[in-house]
Amino acid sequence: MNQLIPLAMVIPGEMVQVVDVRAGWGLRRKLADMGLTPGVIIRVMNSQMPGPIVIDLRGSRLVLGYGMTQKILVKRV
Amino acid sequence: MAKEIIVALAGNPNSGKTTVFNNLTGARQHVGNWPGVTVEKKEGSCNYKGYSIKVVDLPGVYSLTAYSPDEVVARNFIVEEKPDAVVDIVDASSLERNLYLAVQLLEMGARLIVALNMMDEADSRNYRIDVEGLSHLLGAPVVPMVANRNRGTEELLEEIIKVAEKEVEVKELVISYGQEVEEEIARLERLISQDGELSSKYSPRWLAVKLLEGDEEIVKKFKDVKAG
Repeated sequence: MNQLIPLAMVIPGEMVQVVDVRAGWGLRRKLADMGLTPGVIIRVMNSQMPGPIVIDLRGSRLVLGYGMTQKILVKRV
Repeated sequence: MAKEIIVALAGNPNSGKTTVFNNLTGARQHVGNWPGVTVEKKEGSCNYKGYSIKVVDLPGVYSLTAYSPDEVVARNFIVEEKPDAVVDIVDASSLERNLYLAVQLLEMGARLIVALNMMDEADSRNYRIDVEGLSHLLGAPVVPMVANRNRGTEELLEEIIKVAEKEVEVKELVISYGQEVEEEIARLERLISQDGELSSKYSPRWLAVKLLEGDEEIVKKFKDVKAG
């Protein structure tokens, strides 16, 4: 039940917890700067596979490219 | 001659920096309701209570690493030009994300004022922000504002003068990174302090932290330095 899935696979409306960002130093750092850190709970607001995904992150909206969302591993909460 | 004060405006993208800039200087810089409108720094000036205040609008950034040219522009100005005051314009309706930059600025030793912008937006979301409590925790003045209705501009100018004249103390924030990292920071700090040129320009602790992070711009500065 608590298996890790890429954020890309999460459907709109779902709340998930970020577990890991499997990417290079640059992207991990950039996302962390914007508040996307391991442990944070986010809600997927809109998703149009394979297009950008809109998430609610710490009270602000963030749009992520599909490629990025494949590297962000989350679990359902 | 009027006394000159240099103020830098920093903040996350789309937090209202250019609106505050226009309020302060009476300029009509282009304001857009999307992030990234300001890519290069812009300068303007105003006179207030006998001071000639030079205002520098920096590009919007989430962080002060050396990722992109706009982050480098913002960071270099603050670190190298050492403005008399740095105003971090914070979106009060998205406080948690915005305060990350404020903390980084304080860690750099910037003479910080937090402008809590979009207070109306925060109110409409029923957020109650303890302005005094926040100021106490950060160790820096906090000014609530609604920049697009020109509210809080006078109060901000007052704080700018107080900070520039060192009437209010802005504490340099020291974050403890845990014993293991602190030991390395201390070792690097000692080495950096031996280099008169670098340590007069930058805070040795800040440089040490950035070196441990592997910050490319900072690592470059050490290429020609011979450590003892």
